[in-house]
Amino acid sequence: MTGRHRLRSLGTLVLINGLIPIRTQPLYLVNLVASPLSFLFFISVISHGHLLGYAITGGLILTMLSAGTGLQSDLTHYRHDLKFQDIVVASPVEAPVYVAGMALSELVYSLPGIALFVLLYVLAGYASPLNLATLVGVLLLVWGFATALAFTLATYFQDVRETFMFSPMISLLLTVLPPVYYPLSYLPAWAQFVARFSPTTYAASLVQASVSHVAVPLVTAGLDWGVLGAVTTALFLVAAFKARWKEP
Amino acid sequence: MGDLALSAQHVTKVYPGSGGGPPALADLSLDIPTGGIYGLIGRNGAGKTTFVRISATQLALTSGTLTVLGHDVRTEERAIRARIACVPQESRPLYFLTVEEVVHLYLKMRGLPPADARRRTEAALAELSLTEYRRRLVNRLSGGLRRRTLCAMVLASDADVLFLDEPTTGLDPVARREVWQAVRRASREHRTVLLTTHYLDEVEALSGRLALIEQGRLRLEGTPTELRDRVRFPYRVTVRGDVRREALASYGRIAPIDGGYLVFAREAEARELTRWGLERGLRLSMGPVSLEDIFLEVVGKPIDVDDAPLAEEAEA
Repeated sequence: MTGRHRLRSLGTLVLINGLIPIRTQPLYLVNLVASPLSFLFFISVISHGHLLGYAITGGLILTMLSAGTGLQSDLTHYRHDLKFQDIVVASPVEAPVYVAGMALSELVYSLPGIALFVLLYVLAGYASPLNLATLVGVLLLVWGFATALAFTLATYFQDVRETFMFSPMISLLLTVLPPVYYPLSYLPAWAQFVARFSPTTYAASLVQASVSHVAVPLVTAGLDWGVLGAVTTALFLVAAFKARWKEP
Repeated sequence: MGDLALSAQHVTKVYPGSGGGPPALADLSLDIPTGGIYGLIGRNGAGKTTFVRISATQLALTSGTLTVLGHDVRTEERAIRARIACVPQESRPLYFLTVEEVVHLYLKMRGLPPADARRRTEAALAELSLTEYRRRLVNRLSGGLRRRTLCAMVLASDADVLFLDEPTTGLDPVARREVWQAVRRASREHRTVLLTTHYLDEVEALSGRLALIEQGRLRLEGTPTELRDRVRFPYRVTVRGDVRREALASYGRIAPIDGGYLVFAREAEARELTRWGLERGLRLSMGPVSLEDIFLEVVGKPIDVDDAPLAEEAEA
């Protein structure tokens, strides 16, 4: 395949799994934004608006994470129920193109949510060039590791119903329990230690700096970027070695 | 090797975690020439789908070598994938697409230019009588139409080797014949079609050559005529009327049928039996054995008797 062929394949996969299903069922667009909006509402009300910024950045992280982890259901369904992956394997489409196409198609569902939260972020006055650059970088890394995680997990699922069980668990472990919607300092010391095992803690730490108006030491920011980048790389490597294109 | 679409030498497949059970494929060697329709028949669990999946680079083989268009399935997957297309067993088109989108987007996904993809889509839909359904969502179609849509998808492709794993299962007789017509057209374009099926009439109607697989082993291979020549009794004579079984015993193998007997015999004995029966006023018909008869003789069970291990279910 030439580069042009790959791009055509990629675009077609985004169309197949992203844009066309939305035409059939527009409520898909509401689905991914429902949970982050619920959190935004409750946290803003309960904190009397003090944690609005945290709810916005938390919403962005949750939306991007869902765009990645949501893939596991589609991949499992396509592989086992429809045999679509077998059709694609026996074609010129290469595994990385399929992975990228499916990941981008899932991102399409998140775009309205992302747009809404970015708008709120801008309206709330948090948007500076540095903050926006940080936000984009963090969100891309969150999407990246969530996608890699979804590909790895989907390899081992034998039935799409198994993914229904895992998705809420992943959301709980990566966005609800870690300090994504509130500052890390709200947690007791032992819980802060446990929270450090979640990559979203580092993602939240980076974007929360913009809404807390507290300067983060350069070393801390460097550590956050380093851990987030390392986790993303590690999960991509796991996906590359463990995710199966060809059955053993 | 250049004239072979597919060459399998001593191919064995043992599924991981099969717990020392019998292999899904056992030392299977098979050469499939380029061009034409090659039939693969066998009961459920015989190993047909395993063989197709290995050939289509979807499944790893355990030992042996297998080449597709001269390329090794272990080391040259990319070269193979550029030239093949596959309708897997029990596959279904993506339900939120229209019939036209299933075919057109598949072709675009393979990298075909939009105009070429459009032209091929229209031709394939017309060939399989799907044009009137082109704007319909797949999930509103019958199972047969969905299957035809998948067939249209791969037949419209630019692939040189097409793998069709039980493509007509669930189709009504008219739809089956439309698929047959399209498969024949594909083979006329010097493409190779590897067709697995349970329908012996289908493989007899379509395939120039065929292989019979049972319990992962190749049992017979050749043209339908060659297969008939290899069985012990290549002729069948039905005898109806006032006749006793003992009187027929010397002519060949006897099976009771409604109102008489079916005798499997060699040519000389079949002729002799026919002459003998006509002299006694019996109602007779004589002809070469069908594939079903050959299958029964080689395997010992009809093709639709399903008591094989669950190997292919496990792989799915």
